[in-house]
This record gives sequence, C-alpha cells and structure tokens, in this order.
Amino acid sequence: MLEVAVQKRLDDFRLDVAFTAEDGLTVLFGPSGSGKSLTLQAIAGIIRPESGRIVIDGQALYDSARRLHLSPQARHIGYVPQHYALFPHLTAQENISFGLARLPRREQERRTKELITLFGLQSLTHRRPRELSGGQQQRVALARALAMQPRLLLLDEPFAALDALLRAALRRELAQAQVRWGITTLLVTHDLADAFALSQQVVVYDNGQVIQCGTRDEVFFHPATHRVAELIGTVNILPAMVEGAENGTLWLRWRGHSLAVEPKPLARGSLVYLCIRPTQIQVVPRDRMTERPRQNLLSASITGEMMQAESYTLLLRLDGSEAPYDLEMTLPAYVYHRLSLETEKQVTVELRRQSLHVIPRETPSPYFERARGKGQKGDG
Amino acid sequence: MKALLLLAPIVLLLVVFLTLPLVAIFLKVPQVGIWETLRQPLVTEALRLSAITSLSSLCLAVLFGTPVAYLLARYRFRGAALLDTLIDLPMVLPPTVAGVALLMAFGRRGVLGHWLNMFGLQVGFTTVAVILAQTFVSMPFYIRAARAGFQSVDQELERVAYTLGRSPLGTFFRVTVPLALPALLGGAVMAWARALGEFGATIMFAGNLIGRTQTMPLAIYIAMESDLTAALVLSAILIIVSFSVLFFVRSLLRRSPFGTYA
Repeated sequence: MLEVAVQKRLDDFRLDVAFTAEDGLTVLFGPSGSGKSLTLQAIAGIIRPESGRIVIDGQALYDSARRLHLSPQARHIGYVPQHYALFPHLTAQENISFGLARLPRREQERRTKELITLFGLQSLTHRRPRELSGGQQQRVALARALAMQPRLLLLDEPFAALDALLRAALRRELAQAQVRWGITTLLVTHDLADAFALSQQVVVYDNGQVIQCGTRDEVFFHPATHRVAELIGTVNILPAMVEGAENGTLWLRWRGHSLAVEPKPLARGSLVYLCIRPTQIQVVPRDRMTERPRQNLLSASITGEMMQAESYTLLLRLDGSEAPYDLEMTLPAYVYHRLSLETEKQVTVELRRQSLHVIPRETPSPYFERARGKGQKGDG
Repeated sequence: MKALLLLAPIVLLLVVFLTLPLVAIFLKVPQVGIWETLRQPLVTEALRLSAITSLSSLCLAVLFGTPVAYLLARYRFRGAALLDTLIDLPMVLPPTVAGVALLMAFGRRGVLGHWLNMFGLQVGFTTVAVILAQTFVSMPFYIRAARAGFQSVDQELERVAYTLGRSPLGTFFRVTVPLALPALLGGAVMAWARALGEFGATIMFAGNLIGRTQTMPLAIYIAMESDLTAALVLSAILIIVSFSVLFFVRSLLRRSPFGTYA
C-alpha cells in the first residue's frame, strides 16, 4: 500500500495532493498539466516536495516532519517516464540490465535473459533504441524497470507515443504483466479509455489537487462533483431540483418533468446534478410500453445522430424544449436498425432509476455557469 | 542562376585568398634537406616541447573544465552568467594581454608569484608558464563545447539512471559522458589546437628559451631570421595538423553515433 501526501510549488503552479493506493493498478487520471507527472517524480525521488509524506508498505520514503528524503537510488521504485527515456547509446539488452550493476554477473545475466524472454525481445537484444518500434521501446522500458524487482512501478503516459491500434494491444499486455508480476503500479494518463480499461482504482486530478479517489466503479459511475463528472466524460450532467421524497423514492424536477431516483438525504428545493451515461438511456418501443412497470419516461425527438463502428449516438430534444438537444444517448447499431430510428423521429426513452446518479450541489459551481453558457443544459 | 554567376567570382577570389598562402608554404619548402632540418635542435626541441605542453594544458582543461561545464549546463545559480562571461573572456582577449596578465599574477613580482617566489618557486619563464599560458587561452574552447554537449543530454535519462540505482558519478560516466562524447572530443581537439598555436601569451609570460619555453610558433618566429627552411617545415607541420583537426571535428559533429532518440 502506498500513501502519498505531497505539497510542492512550481512557479505559479501549486501541487497539493493526498491519496492512498492499494496494491494493484491505480490510475492517476486528469487533464494535462494537473500535476500527475510531478507526483510520480516526487514518489520516484527525483524531485523533492516542500512538505508531506510518502510511505510505502509502512516504510517512509519521504517525510518532511522528520526531514527524511531518500535518494532515488535507495527507493527501489521502477520509473518509466513519458517517451520511456531509453539510453540511446546502449542496446536493448544493456538497457534492461542497467539497473543490475550491483548484482553478481551470473545473476545479472540470468535476470536479463528471463526478462528478454518474458517480453519476447529475443531477436532485438542487440538493437539500439532508435532501431526499435514504439511498442518494442515500451517493452524494453518496462523490462528495464522490472529487472531490479522494484516494490512499486510508476508509468507516465505509457501509451502516449503509440497509435490507436497498438495502444489497445499494449494496454492488454500491460494489464497482464501487472497481474503476473503482482506489482503495485501507478499509471498516469489523461486518456479516458486507458483509465477505464486498466484501473482498479482511480485518483482524479485537477489543477494540482485530487478531486476524487476510489475504485473504478465508484469514480466512473458515482462522480463526486460536477467537475469529476465532466472529466470522466459524463455527457449528460443535468441541473435539477429536489421536489420531495416519499416511500424510498427521491423526486427530482428537471425540464418540467418529475424523475424518480434512489433516495438520498436531500432537502426539498436543494439543487443537484443528475448524471446518466449515454449507454444507459433506453428507447422504449410503443408496443412494449406496458410489458413491465415503467418509470421516468420522457418523450423526445431525435435532433442529430453520429455513427460509430458498432453503435449510434443520438441527440434527443424533449418535447416542448427550446435547447438544441437535452440528452445524449448511445445504443448498439442493431437496436438502432431494428427500431428503424432516424433523425426527426419521435421516441420515448426511459431513464431507469438505478442508472441515475445524483450529485448534490452545495454552492452554484462555476462549471454550472459554464454549462449554461453553452446553452445545452439549461436549468429546468 | 544569374545570382550564381555573379557570386562565382567572389567565391573564387575568397578560395584563392584562403588557400594561396597555405599552398605557398608547401611550394617554398625545399625538396632536399627536409630531414636535416627536422633533426636540428631548434626544430626537435620545439616539436618535443609543443607536444608536451599542449597535451599537458589539454589535460588541465579537461580535468578542470569538465566539472565546470557540467555545472553550467545543469544548474541555474546566481553568478552563472558572470562565470560564463569570465570563462569566455580569454577567447576575445588579445593573447599578449593575456600574457601580461599572467605575468602580473604569476611572475616573480606578480600578485601570487611574489609569494611563490618566497618559497623558492618560480613560474615565469619556465615550461610551467608555457602550460599555464596555453591552458588560459584554450580552456574556453573546451568548456563551451562540453557545456553544449552536456546540455544536449536529456536530463530524464540521468534521472532514470538514478532510479535504477546508479550513483550520480556512475550515471555521469555511464550515461552523460558517452552521450556527450562527440561534443567533448570536438571541444578537446579544438582546445588542443589552440594550445598548439599559442604564441602571444607564451612569449610575454614564458619567454623564448630553447628546450624550455620555445614552442613551435615561437621557433618559427625565431627561425624566420636565421633559417627560413626550418620555419617553413614547422609551419607546414602546423598547417597539416590544423587541417586534420578541423576535418576530424567536423566529421565527428556531423554524425553523432546515436542519432536522436524518441
């Protein structure tokens, strides 16, 4: 387990973060320049924070109160920076064995060979980094970091330099390697797909601060604030108001409609954001309207559509609404065709209460103003 | 095309201007008696002394210049700009001024030489003075090149080496130096060539004593009055050396062995 609490000022940027990473793979996710890489560097020991504490499995690596700052050499942490920083004058094999200098020659050779085999680099051992492809470079960098059997692995944007196809393949490979080595890993990314595919835990960064930290499902399905919801790509963030509660149901008012959601201790009249993922909005065909009790039905017209490889994304405008669109939904291509949907067509959609996530809104946030400014998600 | 035709005579004129004097020396070196000339004490002593002093001053420049170059390349500190200017100064200073300055510092009545003299140590007009003069004027060439070389090495590589357990010194020799090597070699060769050709500071500070302070340039100067052949032979040697050095440095810098890295 890794406990991090770090403060550091750099010019006019201020990093002030605290989080705990359990064993397994933790993703530091957030926009570029939010302090994720800086955090990795502080953990690796190549920058010194102003104050804070970094503890790994009970051992402090850095503790400002005790004036403790272990050198990077003493930390035993595998660090793979962006673009890998392979030593350009050394071969793949020399790169991999670079961290083993203190071991007896025999042991060096044994471990290097093991890693070369594991990462399938047998035919490339004598190549220099510039003669390797992006994916091969990444493997060498990983092997180099793992060779010294670190107690923690830090990966900074490991897929940034790769094209989309390779990205997916290496994502899978990395996940497998992480499981096989069972090594606690911290991975920095600003890519939503990376974060979603790899993380067991997510730490969400914004502007030098951690704005949410939790398991993947907690963060992705229950964002704590409007900003988190925005960063994790929640497209439907609907400003609503609490109408009241009865019999284990909380009623919200949005765009003149009453919607039922799971109960939450919220007073009547308080303002909230209602989040629903595009894939969780369902079209209800007319003939199946009564096949089971329906809730939160809205009738709307399709104002726009975008085709993806296997799915369609539709923009919906509620009846009587003035906005260009009010909801965005994604459905599988076969459903789109079976229901013969198309732009201008009238549909009824269901927002099932289990899929609705409510974010309390204590003070009107600046992001709310911004969303309003866009004219897409005006207040109901 | 028209511009090219207009430029051609100018280029031609320049090439002639630059090469004619050099070629002239080789044309004027007598065909016979070269070996006799080369065996004269004036020539042999000058060759020996130049080799010893220029290589010694190169060692000093590398030994002291490397850490300073690394410091300037890696750290921002107060006075860095001043230090930078100070290091470059000997490159623009007239060598005779450098000679006078060295004399005022290390000469028998110099600021420091005065004290050294009291312990029976004399610097001025010795081989040591030659080495000091050469180091003084050639050091900037090495430091400038080395600093640029170190700057071109991505610091991320050094940081990764630290996380892989290598000490700062180990990292310096295993990562930084190999990657900066073309620049370091280039700078060293330039500094050595400058030391080899040093004249003004040497004659002011070290004098002109055969076998002790009379290096090749000084020997040429003396020989011009007594033995033109010797002067020509020595000049020809220096031209060949200078040309080879420049050519070597150019080819070294043109193809860095590792190319760029992603």
